[in-house]
Amino acid sequence: MVDVSEASDTELVARVLAGERDAYAGLVARYRDRLGRYAVRMLGNRSDAEDALQETFVRGYRSLGRCTDPDRFGAWLFGILVNRCRTLGAQRGRRERVHVADESALQRAATRDDPVGRQALREAIGAALARLAPTLREAFLLKFVEEMSYEEMATMTGASVPALKMRVSRARAELRQILSEADHA
Amino acid sequence: MRDHDREIDQAIALLREPVAMDHTLDARVMAEIAHVPAPRRLGPVGRAGLWLVRPRPVRVPPVAILAAAAALVLAVVRPWGGIADQPAPEAVPTFTAFAGNVRPTRFMLVAPAASAVTLVGDFNDWTADSTPMTTDASGGLWSVTIPLEPGRYRYAFLVDGEIWTPDPGAPRAVDDDFGRPNSVLTIGGL
Repeated sequence: MVDVSEASDTELVARVLAGERDAYAGLVARYRDRLGRYAVRMLGNRSDAEDALQETFVRGYRSLGRCTDPDRFGAWLFGILVNRCRTLGAQRGRRERVHVADESALQRAATRDDPVGRQALREAIGAALARLAPTLREAFLLKFVEEMSYEEMATMTGASVPALKMRVSRARAELRQILSEADHA
Repeated sequence: MRDHDREIDQAIALLREPVAMDHTLDARVMAEIAHVPAPRRLGPVGRAGLWLVRPRPVRVPPVAILAAAAALVLAVVRPWGGIADQPAPEAVPTFTAFAGNVRPTRFMLVAPAASAVTLVGDFNDWTADSTPMTTDASGGLWSVTIPLEPGRYRYAFLVDGEIWTPDPGAPRAVDDDFGRPNSVLTIGGL
């Protein structure tokens, strides 16, 4: 068994690389929910998010020897997840599907101070995110939800810092526009 | 008229709320990796080759877009053919010491107007700055040699940190990421 609460990432990575396959369970348990949040927000549903997450952990295991800084295993794994979400998002045409499913969410979000309104807002922002181009949604989530620096985002996405700043700005402007449209619906 | 910036801030706060994923995912992952070869730390020779893949900041010159647009991608020179199952003869002398099934594989791109070119692919988890390419004396031929085990790899070149460029001398991968065109390389077993 792996003591998740005690072992550091570096220790767990070392144990896996030494042949202790079960030690990887500790890393999976540690990062399941942290990475899951991004996958759910990016892909818009738990089913696709779980697929992306599972592929990410398996790819992470297969490539673990290339993780040159085990101290930053989480960030390294996150980079794989970002890529898997891109692939799954493109393959499954999720954007249209989610948008149709949540078409009326923005209107239902009119009252936001009660639990129902709060849930409606949660659905509304999901629907609004789904209407963004994947690159804009990705930039918005990495910047505002995962709270990464632009330099970290550049490393993850391969885009330049100026390009990412533009995407974040556009994402925010488009979300503002979507909310405005909902006001006038 | 609502304060939409305030609404977006509220939405961000909601999006930051933790998400509890299904714990059975752990078992599914562990069951799947039971069939995956155990990962190995790179040996001394492989570590020596890590200078090829060490991280570095992505260079983004102010005129990156113009320069990248002007980059003339003439051709990819892969001496051993489009789908490599043999390493390039001229690349071998430097890397003959790689152990086991690992093969030195050289990637090349002719892009005389580019300021920086990096190699991204399955082998480096599509990390933009982990495999920088270097130019020859003419400045037009960018290349990098990395150790790869037999297998199928998808890859592309990133010119000036902006332009995603598939290998014009290799087949396209059908499972492109995010709609971006990638190439595919198959390295046969020994």
